[in-house]
Amino acid sequence: MTESTIQTATGGGGLRALAMLVRGEAKMVIRDTAGLVIPVALPLLIMVMNASSANSEEIVDGRTALDIYVLPIVFAIVIATIGIVNMPSFLTIYRKTGILRRLAVTPVSPMTVLSAQVIVSLIQALLGLAIAFTVAAVAFDARLPIDLGPALGIVVLSIAAMYALGMVVASLAPTPNAAIAIGLIVFFAIGALGGMFGGPDTLPDVIDRIGSVLPFGASVDGLSAAWAGETVPWRCWVSLAVTAVLGAGVAATTFRWDR
Amino acid sequence: MTEPAVLVENIRKRYKDTVAVDDVSFRVDPGEVLGVLGVNGAGKSTTIELVAGLRAPDSGSVRVLGLDPRKDRKAVRQLLGVQLQEAQLHDALTVSELVDMYRSFYSDPRSADEVIEMVELGGKRDTRFESLSGGQQQRLSIALALVGRPRVVILDELTTGLDPRARRRIWAAIEALTEESVILVSHAMDEVQRLCDRVVLLDAGRIVAEGTPADVVSQAGAANLEEAFVAITGHDLDADEDEEDVA
Repeated sequence: MTESTIQTATGGGGLRALAMLVRGEAKMVIRDTAGLVIPVALPLLIMVMNASSANSEEIVDGRTALDIYVLPIVFAIVIATIGIVNMPSFLTIYRKTGILRRLAVTPVSPMTVLSAQVIVSLIQALLGLAIAFTVAAVAFDARLPIDLGPALGIVVLSIAAMYALGMVVASLAPTPNAAIAIGLIVFFAIGALGGMFGGPDTLPDVIDRIGSVLPFGASVDGLSAAWAGETVPWRCWVSLAVTAVLGAGVAATTFRWDR
Repeated sequence: MTEPAVLVENIRKRYKDTVAVDDVSFRVDPGEVLGVLGVNGAGKSTTIELVAGLRAPDSGSVRVLGLDPRKDRKAVRQLLGVQLQEAQLHDALTVSELVDMYRSFYSDPRSADEVIEMVELGGKRDTRFESLSGGQQQRLSIALALVGRPRVVILDELTTGLDPRARRRIWAAIEALTEESVILVSHAMDEVQRLCDRVVLLDAGRIVAEGTPADVVSQAGAANLEEAFVAITGHDLDADEDEEDVA
């Protein structure tokens, strides 16, 4: 085989393949919107249930308990359900049905396939966050965080951390059902320890401290601080960044195309 | 001597205590259609997975156009078109959308129209994969294997489960491939007899006969390839040792 043939053979794919995969994945989601019910509707329901009692008491600079305590939890739920539950179940269904196996014999790289999934999930998460905040703002007078920059930083890192965890679940789960089960267990575990079912101060001190450095708790605490105009604790940044890096590393080394 | 399109030398693959492929060697020359025959569990799918680079052999070597399918993954996949048994596609996407998606993976793809017409799916462009019949899904799968203008094509159980009309249409599509080297995995003897220049018969992971279909029939002193297969391997073609159990 000549050198020029090899050079030609290594071309193609890349960004165009990524764009087409993203388009395809997005169409799959649009044509089956049932998967969005939990990540979008559930946090919205939680927010509405808590909003009427939480938006009356101003805590700091016009921000109420809705802004500082409820919305951070709602945001974390949206990000975690899409990243840890939805995305892994999609990937494991693809693996079970042979879609990943079929892609594995094309020039497209595993990283491109995973990136497309992440991008489409990211769009879903941003949509979920936008809907939650819009409803909160229009119906319950919610306001933006006092420190918008750090809040956006925490959202970005939370997405990276939760999605990295989701990739680990997708890599390790043998079946779609296992992926959903593992994803839900991880979600509820880090959610419960991170304040999803009530203030973490009701938990034993050790458990509270563990929860606060897990991604859900770190995400909630970081957003809460940014909303109130306080300095985001360094443990939030570190926890989310470490989870993102470690998770991505584990997923990259354990990802399987095949059953 | 012409450089082979595919050169497999002494490959061996073991799953736990079972040897799935044992010292298998063969070559496929440019433009040649090689049939790989065997009952379920004979090692056909493992052999193909090794050629496609989906698995690494425990020993031996595989070269596709002189390249290692594992080490030169991206280059080999640009040159290789694969239709896999039991591989599904994004079920909610249409024929056109899937062809466009797969075209984007290759540096010099066939046009969408060309590839869709090759497998006579022009009237189904806007039909979702999940709504196609089994034969149409299979034809689309073949189309996607050909979309990147591959120089080597692997077709795994090409027409299994299809009705006679669908089989003939797929055969016609394969017969239209004149420049590509093809490895056709099958246990359908009529298909192999019609499409293949040469065949290798696998049994329990080993090659037990090879040559042109006529040579193999002659070697076995049989009347046709099916009888030759039974005479050489001692297996009925309907034998059902599930290879998945091995893997």
